[in-house]
Amino acid sequence: MVKDKATVVVVGGGATGVGILRDLSMRGIDALLIEKLDMVNGASSRYHGLLHSGARYAVRDQEAAKECIEENTILRRIGKSCVEAISGMFVQVEGDDPDFVDPWVKGCAESGIKTREMSKEEALRLEPNLSRKLVRAFEVPDGAIDGFRMSWQNVLSAARYGGRYKTYTELIKINVEGGAVKSITVRDNVTKEEYDIECEILVNAAGPWAGKVAQMAGLDCSVSPSKGTLIAFNQRISNRVVNRLRKPSNGDIFVPHGSITILGTSSITIPDPEDTSTSWDEVEELMKTGEGVFEHLRDYRILRVFAGSRPLYVPKGADGGRNASRGFVTLDHEKEDGLKGMMTICGGKFTTYRLMAEKFCDVLAPKLGNTAKCRTAEEDLVPAVSEADKKAARQYFPSYGVNLAATRLGTDKFPEVVKTLKENPETREVLCECENVTMAEVMRIAQEPTSHSVADVRRRTRLGMGTCQGNYCAIRSAAIANKLFKDKLEGCGDSLSDMKNFLQARWKGITPVMAGKTLREAEMTRGMYEVLFNVNGGRR
Amino acid sequence: MSKSDVVVIGNGFAGLMSALVSADQGKKVTLLSYGAGTFPLNSGVIDVLGYDDSGKAVANPAQAVGAVADEHPYKKIGTQALEESVKFFQDVVAAEGFPYVGSLNEQQWLITGVGTLKPSCLIPESMQGSKCFEASEIVLVGVKGLKDYYVDMVAENLAKELGNDKKYTVVTVDPHYKGARDLTTKDVASWMDTDAGYSDFVSQVKESAGAGKVIVVPQILGLKGNVVWKKIVAELGCPVVETTAMPPSVNGLRLRDVLLSALKKKGITVIENSKAEEAVIEGSKAVAVKAGGEVRLQTYNADKFIVATGGFYSGGITMRDFGEAKEVIFGLPIECDCVEERWVNKQLFSDKKQTFAKTGVRVDATLRGVNESGNVVLQNVYVAGRNLSGYDFCFEHSGNGVALASAYKAAKA
Repeated sequence: MVKDKATVVVVGGGATGVGILRDLSMRGIDALLIEKLDMVNGASSRYHGLLHSGARYAVRDQEAAKECIEENTILRRIGKSCVEAISGMFVQVEGDDPDFVDPWVKGCAESGIKTREMSKEEALRLEPNLSRKLVRAFEVPDGAIDGFRMSWQNVLSAARYGGRYKTYTELIKINVEGGAVKSITVRDNVTKEEYDIECEILVNAAGPWAGKVAQMAGLDCSVSPSKGTLIAFNQRISNRVVNRLRKPSNGDIFVPHGSITILGTSSITIPDPEDTSTSWDEVEELMKTGEGVFEHLRDYRILRVFAGSRPLYVPKGADGGRNASRGFVTLDHEKEDGLKGMMTICGGKFTTYRLMAEKFCDVLAPKLGNTAKCRTAEEDLVPAVSEADKKAARQYFPSYGVNLAATRLGTDKFPEVVKTLKENPETREVLCECENVTMAEVMRIAQEPTSHSVADVRRRTRLGMGTCQGNYCAIRSAAIANKLFKDKLEGCGDSLSDMKNFLQARWKGITPVMAGKTLREAEMTRGMYEVLFNVNGGRR
Repeated sequence: MSKSDVVVIGNGFAGLMSALVSADQGKKVTLLSYGAGTFPLNSGVIDVLGYDDSGKAVANPAQAVGAVADEHPYKKIGTQALEESVKFFQDVVAAEGFPYVGSLNEQQWLITGVGTLKPSCLIPESMQGSKCFEASEIVLVGVKGLKDYYVDMVAENLAKELGNDKKYTVVTVDPHYKGARDLTTKDVASWMDTDAGYSDFVSQVKESAGAGKVIVVPQILGLKGNVVWKKIVAELGCPVVETTAMPPSVNGLRLRDVLLSALKKKGITVIENSKAEEAVIEGSKAVAVKAGGEVRLQTYNADKFIVATGGFYSGGITMRDFGEAKEVIFGLPIECDCVEERWVNKQLFSDKKQTFAKTGVRVDATLRGVNESGNVVLQNVYVAGRNLSGYDFCFEHSGNGVALASAYKAAKA
């Protein structure tokens, strides 16, 4: 049954998909994005969050390097609240190939990336945790970026131009008539209802799942999912991004975000993009390499380990993994395979998501007779929350949480939350001290149409995502959710199950690193929830 | 530097009990303390054995303790020492005016801070959840502004445990707190220790009390022993039951205060804020430990040492890297089955013990560390509490029971 229609349907709620949704919407094209789970659940939120300067690609792939530095400049401007505008360092330590440096410096210069060599003393003064085996250090314009938030801001920006989105809506069939895509069949993963959506063009932006989507139309598109494993530490090890100055390999990059640091990544070709498991060997490899840069790495507490799948595009006959291109391809299936009304975008990296969308839409738009120019680099993703609103909020918020909440909520929802805090003092309870999340914010986000479960609310608010790993807020969020959202959100009505599921989700990232200070935290979690609260229930 | 008969290292439940039992033997005891052990975390109740290996509730702890696996500390301690230790503990707390109820032959039932039931063995009078079993109405009291106690959730879960044929009523007390921050149970307990706070609280719950009812409150009935509990039970005319609580747990702190008071009466020297860093070993004996703050280490000589420094949480056992588990002061031999397939259960809450949780010092029946051939490594160093290997106290609910019995046996040796 046809229940909806859109000129363009975009499949996939990662950075690529949301970038295209925003680009199309700003060109005045009617577009609808569907995502099988919650928005941004794949690699766009499961990577190190590096805003590349391009220096990493300066030797092997100067085109990618140039794109990175241009996009780096643009994203710093249009996505201020998602970017930590810090700089980066490339460091060479004893044992690294000294001959790599000159071509790298030259490559950076040719790509338009400013580098500055600093003395060993200066480098150690700026980043005191660096290894004493440091040989040379260069400054580069790297930054840190919150992929989850930036993706969401793209969605919200698109919505202001009429772009639509449906989460928990999974593509299950592509309906072709007379050599052209006419509609798709989707399943609502919340209600389990199946229905059709008519469209003129179907965009496959499913990242590592793109091969599976292409198969539904009988097409062959070789995407090689490549798993990247990352480790999050409970502190800012450095104030800048720190890269190893050598041929890119595993465990080379440290990116500080807020109060944590992410070390990445590995690159393992896997058959199933859903596979985000990690092993001791992967962790050990990252730690071993990372120790070269920060020698006391094993003394820092690890928060969790996680993995995401990169959507590497592999032209026929080439191999995947680290040697596959980080570039992207636009496949027009009308030209390639004789199927009208379907295009695929594949590969790429977060830093260049906007440019990818621009180039892709430059091909797509003319097919619809639209000649509008791309405007996504001209306008901020979201308008900034006003200083007056922030000032008002400081009366009710823990003051250092004001900026966090303002960037999470944005201009429309932030003033509403402040109003609730003002009128109802009980909503001022801070449910999550790590991320400064108040009850009022949780209540507001629960009303969003994309909030189907407590887990969705947690992702949007970052409730329970902070450094305590949910030890303190698991009980709070379970209690609040069950009180306020019973019958409204899936997963409510049984606070014990909710509490257990929440801690279990965190546990997955903890088990592969159960050593060092992580053991201490685990003994405390179990002491609280098993011994003190006996969450497994009483008279078994 | 004077010499003690016994140096006890550790300020948690196992450490304090080791010191008390040693002093009771007429020994001159020095206790090195650093931190507060797990008192603020464990609600000060003595779990002996709540669940067996398959996760089934244990009805008779004494019987179940007799049937544990060979690796389990109880096997090494033996039931006789356990029985004696329980009596010793009950005498100590009773003499301090803070009696604990319960015996090794049955479980006591607690109501937890989320409303589930929890088996335990020795508990303070204020926490007897079994009072609810026969009641027709349970009045659940919440406190406005109190963090981490969600009375509606307690009601939801307690109704699941006890059945819907009872009436569950929720009352929220307003402590008229004017400050800006969230309240903890400790804050509210301090308020209850004041006459004004107590009267205010009673006036707000009095109407809901009465025959056939039980009042369930968070752990807020004062910081000093059972004083407030006795008063309020008499005044309301029906049972009043405290739940377990999120740290800092008030009852854990009450028990700690009571034990420290007993320590003082026994003339035990307590060195505060003094972290034991290293041991001085001569042949197969320890002669001293060096402990102190940031500046310099003091040497503490003794004939006998009891290690009660805790597990991973307290830092008595560390494992910087996979397979490198250590007992940090004496370097005692460690039992550690650090194999990737077994080390951690994929499920946090499951029907299996966690292998990593069983990591600890390998001991014989004398509670001294032994090498793989079973030979004692240091003749005069004994181990008590979570330093021991072979049990998962979270899964079994056996933490303070093992601590008590092993402390008793180590001190008696």
